[in-house]
Amino acid sequence: MSDTPGDETRIGVDQWVEQSEDRREKYTGWTAPARRMFDQVSPGWRLALFLLAAAAYPFLVRGSDVRIGITVLLLAMVALGLNVVVGWAGLLDLGYVAFYGFGAYFYAIVASDQLPAHWPTWAAIPVIVATTALLGALLSLPSRRLVGDYLAIMTLFFAQIFLELVRNFERLPFVPDDLDLTGGPNGITGVEPWELFGFEINSQDLFGGVLPNFSRQYYLALIFLALLIMGLHNLNESRTGRAWRALREDTLAAEHMTIPVNRMKLLAFAVGAGIAGLTGAMFAAVQIGVFPTSFTLFFLITMYAAVILGGSGSIPGVVLGAIAIAYVPELLRDPGKAGWLFYIGLGALLYVMVKRWDHVAVTVGSVFVFGLIVRFFSGRIWDESTMGEANDAFMSRLMDDWVLILDAQRDVITNYVFVLAIVGVMLVVVARAWWRIAALVPTLYFAILVWENKLAFEPSITRQLMFGAVLVVMMAVRPQGLLGTRRVEIT
Amino acid sequence: MRKGSIRHIVALLLALALVAAACGDDSADTTTATTAAPAATTTTQAADTTTTTEAPMACEATIGFIGPITGPVAFIGEVQNNWFDYAIDSFNAETGYDIQTVIGDNQFDPAQSGTIAAQFLDNSDIVATVGPAGSDQTDAAGAVFEAGDPNFTFISPSSTRIGITDKYNGMFRTVPSDTDQAPLAADFMIGEGAQKVFIVDDQSSYSVALADLVSAALEAGNVAVTRESVSQDVTDFSALVATIDADTDFIYLPWQVAANGQILSNQMVEQGKNAVIVGSDGMDSGDFTTPGSYVAGFAIDIATLPASAEVLAGFLAQYPDTNTFGPPVYVAAQVIYDAIVRVCAAGEVPDRANVQAEVRKTDLAETILGSPVSFKANGDLEVGQFFLFQIQDDGSKTLLP
Amino acid sequence: MEFFLQQTVNGVTLGSVYALLALGYSMVYGVLKLLNFAHGEVYMFGAFAGYGVLTVLGGASALSVPVWLAIVLMFLAAMATSSAIGVALERFAYRPLREATRIAPLISAIGASFFLQASALLMFTANSRTYDTPQLIEIQTGIALGPIRVWMVRILVIVSAVVLMILLTLWVNRTRLGKAVRAVSFDREAAAMMGIDVDKVIVVVFLIGSALAGIGGVMVGLVFGRIFHLMGFVAGLKAFTAAVVGGIGSIPGAMLGGLLIGLAEAYTTGYISSTFQNVIVFGLLIAVLLVRPSGLLGRPELVKV
Repeated sequence: MSDTPGDETRIGVDQWVEQSEDRREKYTGWTAPARRMFDQVSPGWRLALFLLAAAAYPFLVRGSDVRIGITVLLLAMVALGLNVVVGWAGLLDLGYVAFYGFGAYFYAIVASDQLPAHWPTWAAIPVIVATTALLGALLSLPSRRLVGDYLAIMTLFFAQIFLELVRNFERLPFVPDDLDLTGGPNGITGVEPWELFGFEINSQDLFGGVLPNFSRQYYLALIFLALLIMGLHNLNESRTGRAWRALREDTLAAEHMTIPVNRMKLLAFAVGAGIAGLTGAMFAAVQIGVFPTSFTLFFLITMYAAVILGGSGSIPGVVLGAIAIAYVPELLRDPGKAGWLFYIGLGALLYVMVKRWDHVAVTVGSVFVFGLIVRFFSGRIWDESTMGEANDAFMSRLMDDWVLILDAQRDVITNYVFVLAIVGVMLVVVARAWWRIAALVPTLYFAILVWENKLAFEPSITRQLMFGAVLVVMMAVRPQGLLGTRRVEIT
Repeated sequence: MRKGSIRHIVALLLALALVAAACGDDSADTTTATTAAPAATTTTQAADTTTTTEAPMACEATIGFIGPITGPVAFIGEVQNNWFDYAIDSFNAETGYDIQTVIGDNQFDPAQSGTIAAQFLDNSDIVATVGPAGSDQTDAAGAVFEAGDPNFTFISPSSTRIGITDKYNGMFRTVPSDTDQAPLAADFMIGEGAQKVFIVDDQSSYSVALADLVSAALEAGNVAVTRESVSQDVTDFSALVATIDADTDFIYLPWQVAANGQILSNQMVEQGKNAVIVGSDGMDSGDFTTPGSYVAGFAIDIATLPASAEVLAGFLAQYPDTNTFGPPVYVAAQVIYDAIVRVCAAGEVPDRANVQAEVRKTDLAETILGSPVSFKANGDLEVGQFFLFQIQDDGSKTLLP
Repeated sequence: MEFFLQQTVNGVTLGSVYALLALGYSMVYGVLKLLNFAHGEVYMFGAFAGYGVLTVLGGASALSVPVWLAIVLMFLAAMATSSAIGVALERFAYRPLREATRIAPLISAIGASFFLQASALLMFTANSRTYDTPQLIEIQTGIALGPIRVWMVRILVIVSAVVLMILLTLWVNRTRLGKAVRAVSFDREAAAMMGIDVDKVIVVVFLIGSALAGIGGVMVGLVFGRIFHLMGFVAGLKAFTAAVVGGIGSIPGAMLGGLLIGLAEAYTTGYISSTFQNVIVFGLLIAVLLVRPSGLLGRPELVKV
């Protein structure tokens, strides 16, 4: 409700209608018409459009790209499950990756030659989901007594224990010697694909070649994602969803409003775990094998980055976040594409920091000048410094003539420059107005130098840096993520 | 700042980036090896000779490489990548062909191995691949290759896990498997009259497999064996060392992290235990230097073999350093390259099926590893030999007969 | 008896390091009610800083200054590096989130931890480094303790840890700034109303906690030898266990907890099995959390409505 005079509460008018003017005013700028249209489209139609686009995807690309699409869909599913626990119920679960691994291992054990057991899919999947949900409920039992931070730690430790047990299962004293349940550090291979309604969902193509390889698994994942989105949306709009929101905002008050807080926490954990178990089973079938090294902290951070970036608590946000995060490793694989990502990201951050286009232009110009100066002086002092080769990417070739590409002692100097860049970022955050631009110029240059010399060729490190930075920066700048709604904590 | 503008800029630019990336360079990135090896582009016009050194017509193919170039074991993958590039460059220079390469970085992650394997399968230019390195990654990639095209050859230069060559039709390897290494260690210890041996594995699949085999062999030889295990992130072994009996003869460490072995050794000295350490080939690195202990290796130090020394010198002229994981990559690349050349010599266009057929017929009498290379039906080396070295006071290793 | 004694010495050495780390966790939690996941990475960087100094001074086998001076310099460098990182963490990752929801700083902490790990990977690569301490201080030098010998370096570690803990306790209990720290950890708003500069106190807490962690890192490098970019993660978890077991927010609790966890690890390896040493230690934490969430010496947390 707005507080502008002449706009007081009108009796008998629906609140949504009443706020329509506020909403119309809320969107300003050149993207406003698009956003207003987006708001007008109901969630059902948004889902339909998304599914249409996703379903069309395999027609346009090759098999290996479809496989990447499967990775994206799986991450979206598991991020949705995490969203239930973290975004809706506000419980920080750092052991979520263990549920994912549990589902994957369970499916691998019952659908391979490991035991041997070859359960039919229609029997295996419900059992897996139910068991994982039960495990989630069990893990939530201590949450009665523990405050948020302790719960986080406990779940983190649970994930560690899970990994250790999976790796060393046969060595447990009570396990008979000939029972090799988890394959130890070797993992389990030869996992069978899902088979539903007599239709084997393996990595072959569909309709005799009309659709490329991996399409069957892709559509299976897409169908489940759609069902998940619909189910979770309904859950969110129901009493359960409202109860979760209440317990997230203020547990004590919720309890006084007769919300069964403990049962709701249990339910949140169980639902989240069940979703993770289902996705894990799908993951095992797609990978045709499970290994302990797939379920590490790295993947947990990936899931969190997807949820936090997209907007915890919002389904479209989480899906969007998952798509962005899952695509990053593929983009980073090739220095050319990675370069695009880096420079566009840098440009976006620059705009956000400086806000005015003329200031941005000044900054960019100054960075160029700075670079030329550095190049000039380093050429004088030290002959070898300008003789390195850039890689083949378009942006790098553009940059090659300008930024310092080091040849000798590349690693040592890049390390120092990296530290300088971090310090520069800190100065930029602290400074205001002209000082900010002054700090930005060298920082940008150092960042580009580190990128061109080292990071462009190290996709794994870049990915880790990015995800860690995403978590920190999003929390500091925009905790509700891209599409979430802002929350206020009443302390 | 207008509320929401941030997210719009970011979202729009991200979308732009994705679109640009998708429409940008094609996914079939054929990046040639970056060093400039001057390729002699003479194509001799021999009509119907069957020599394998200079084929009658231009020969085109692409060889792939999958390895952990970045990530937790980047020191392995980077050296392997460098050896691969070096090998292809040298062979191209020799034959005058321009065989292309595609490099895939699986970051030591089995999931990414699968993705890269799928990408390679889709790229119809690639006829065979060297890699992946680790056994987990080989399993993951192998599953994809097998399901997609059993004729796709992949030669791993360092996966030693037992049994994977049996699972995948197209898999070969230029390192002996663990079944060859375990008897070497066990027989040695029995031969030295060991009564008590203490075995510690590091909970990796490589380690557990070796430890199991050696343990079984020792027990068959009536040696008392104690088994323990620690994970790789443990750096304090003093508690473990304290549990070693004072009269233990040998400690067998099939570890991947040699630095940990050195720590264990120091702590043994600290506590006055003087059992002798026998390490597996993972311990064969500069980090483990306890004099008097033994390590295994699957190649004689190639610097000591004259023919190999030349290759090694050429490599070190271009790249900063090397380790034991490098030379098998060279041999693997050599196997594929020779197969391609033979296919071309027979007048055919190289494709996956005929290259694999030729790989199976590989029979190199001499390689830089110091031993011949030919394959059994399942892809394992016909002659898989491990060597045992003793570390001397000055850090050098002497080969045991 | 000899075995038990040996394991006790091992446990006490480990425990001293865990106690130093746990102090940082406890102090930060006391004033901010925040679990600083990135503390392990601070410790790791301290270890690498010490290694850097060692290398600059010529390396373990060719030291250009006396050994004791080298060790002092290493400690100083580690303290400086770790404090700098800790203070930066507080300023940029945690301070913006002081008024935010409860889980926001935790997520930021995990992100910061991950970012620092990646930075270490970038700067130092995945290869581990070794202090090569036997070159510095011969393994044979040490004190006899009954039937066993204890290496000089271990004694150094234990003694330094004890001295530091005593100093810290004195500081917290006897100085004005220490009193301010106690006040802020008791009730932040009331302390602010009493004229205490809360921001400065928090910075000091991070400074000291991180400095202790840095020293711990150098100690680990000296005693055990191998440092690598992931060492902060597991050590952080164990130190966190120690802080919680002892009672988070309580300084003597952190020391006690560290000792207990170190001994637990040593005895588990010695008497049960080395395979499940981590599992048992983590299980211990879960058990303690279930039975007595406030730890051995901690205050039960009162929730004010």
